[in-house]
Amino acid sequence: MMLFIRECKKIFHSLTFIIYFAAVILMFFTQFWPEMDEPVTSSTIDSYELAKISGEPETIMPKALDSLTGCYFSNTYRCYPYGLFKAVHLNSRDNDKIRDCITEMSSLNADELEELKAASSISHVKVGTNELESYNVKGVPLSVDITYERFREIMGEVDDILGGGSDYRPDDLAYKFSQEPMTHEEILEQYDEFMEKDHIAIAYGRLFSDYLGIILAVIPVFVAAALVTADKRTKMNELIYSRRISSFRLVFTRFAALVLTMVIPVLLCGAIASARIMYMYKGSTPDIAGAFAVSGKWLLPNIMLAAAMGMFISELFSAGMAILVQFAAWFMCMMMTSMPLYGHIRRFTFICRHNSLFYRSEFMKHYSDFIFSRIFYTAAALAAVLLTVFVYELKRGGKFNGIMFFGKDSIFRHKT
Amino acid sequence: MALCFLARTVYSDIRHNFLPHYLLAAAIVVITPLFFSVSELDSRQAAQPLEMIISLTGTVLLTPVFMPEQNESIRDLIRSKKAPYLLTCMIRLLIGLLLLAVLTGISVLYMKKCHSQVTFRHFTGTAASAMALGSIGFFTAGVSNNVIIGYMASLLCYILNFIARDKLGIFCIFSMMNGSYDEKKWIFVLSFALILSVFMYFKLIRKY
Repeated sequence: MMLFIRECKKIFHSLTFIIYFAAVILMFFTQFWPEMDEPVTSSTIDSYELAKISGEPETIMPKALDSLTGCYFSNTYRCYPYGLFKAVHLNSRDNDKIRDCITEMSSLNADELEELKAASSISHVKVGTNELESYNVKGVPLSVDITYERFREIMGEVDDILGGGSDYRPDDLAYKFSQEPMTHEEILEQYDEFMEKDHIAIAYGRLFSDYLGIILAVIPVFVAAALVTADKRTKMNELIYSRRISSFRLVFTRFAALVLTMVIPVLLCGAIASARIMYMYKGSTPDIAGAFAVSGKWLLPNIMLAAAMGMFISELFSAGMAILVQFAAWFMCMMMTSMPLYGHIRRFTFICRHNSLFYRSEFMKHYSDFIFSRIFYTAAALAAVLLTVFVYELKRGGKFNGIMFFGKDSIFRHKT
Repeated sequence: MALCFLARTVYSDIRHNFLPHYLLAAAIVVITPLFFSVSELDSRQAAQPLEMIISLTGTVLLTPVFMPEQNESIRDLIRSKKAPYLLTCMIRLLIGLLLLAVLTGISVLYMKKCHSQVTFRHFTGTAASAMALGSIGFFTAGVSNNVIIGYMASLLCYILNFIARDKLGIFCIFSMMNGSYDEKKWIFVLSFALILSVFMYFKLIRKY
């Protein structure tokens, strides 16, 4: 217990923790706080301009097929493989594969497609530096035999041919081709869910976790890396190595201290948000405990994994490598986040997004995936800590001194 | 004599301390076209890979300038040498800035070759963004004497821009993506002030 308290004190006094604390508070007040300007009421909810994704195959299939056919005619496909725009122009072989996909989904053969191309009106759209011909295609007849499952499969093939990130990615089809504004009645249903099922606070808890989860997936790595390398900087390594304490106890105590200290600013923000919610919704009974429960499940694995990776990679390579790896992982997760920012949580989603107080049913649809991902990343964090124990033990025994790519201890340097 | 000192410093630093950083910065430039389209983009689209990815070379090149002397033994050894310590740091910084300009230039020219609508403004704008990220890291690493804090500050600034660039006003480093160039002169001035203040801090407070 003494060791744990000492490690906590060490972290509290470190500059990295102070910056971490400031970053969490900054994120809370700049991103989440403005969402609590005024309470949601049945009369103000219309201002949220909610959209619904019908997800009905009868809506999706004709629209997606028309869009793909138009892109095939102009051989220009808009893709966002890593979040950034990419205009894809296929070679004739790959474009023929797209044609085959279209002919399978529609009741047209290749010759009829050519006839449709000739009959379609052309407008000019600016794509990048080019002004390209855009075919206005409407009403391509669907094949009577095509099922929605097969349609999704074919669209998956199309997305693969295009290199990913296209409008035709099966998971995005519903969002891209069946989005429409909600009716007043549907908006009121959202309000009922907000009041009756989310008990106000749980909806705020999800939004709070959405914002804070973004930075908690990366900044704990700095605090962890700084803690691990502090021994080396202060030349305390050898002294600690010679102590009787087991590597398992030392590393796990440090990890627990890191996680606990880094949870504190999150709890503080949660408490401020709770006070604000109770003030805004006087007369109601917001489920504050439920909000803390959802935020805990959501954010704790992010903090744990980022901290554990920071410890493990810093011990194995260096602090710089830990920062590089975690930042690269964070960047890719962020760039590959699908729109809309709700309803996309899957089994291996690390940075979970639900950027709305509403759409509870979309969140609950994938709730088991959400729980799976949280358990998975918690287990991954614990595995990384166990590996850190192993590396630390090797270092203590003098059998290993970390992997270096450069310098006199480089693994590439021939030792005589 | 001065040239000889310069050459020795450059060679020694590259060999012992900065090669991984220079290679990483070059790797960022090389891998960008593999993941993101750089062909046939209009002015705003071209600013996306430049500001969001190439600007990270600033963090990689400028933040670790004080890194070798984080080891106290090396710091004492360096300070015992005849050559002024701050001059050594300045040379490292200038090499970092030079490389930053070269890598940004290569990226912009490559995009030009790929028929993207890039101009000299894209070059200066990206270099200013990279310099801003780098100088924040350089400043915090220098003042805190901890390069991890430097990376943390620099990348936090990047993350803040990533999440809330519309709210940052003149401190937005991704402004070209929104079609605005005015912010660049402010972040350039800020970068210069941060770099200058680190040297002032070392000279006047730490008495180096």
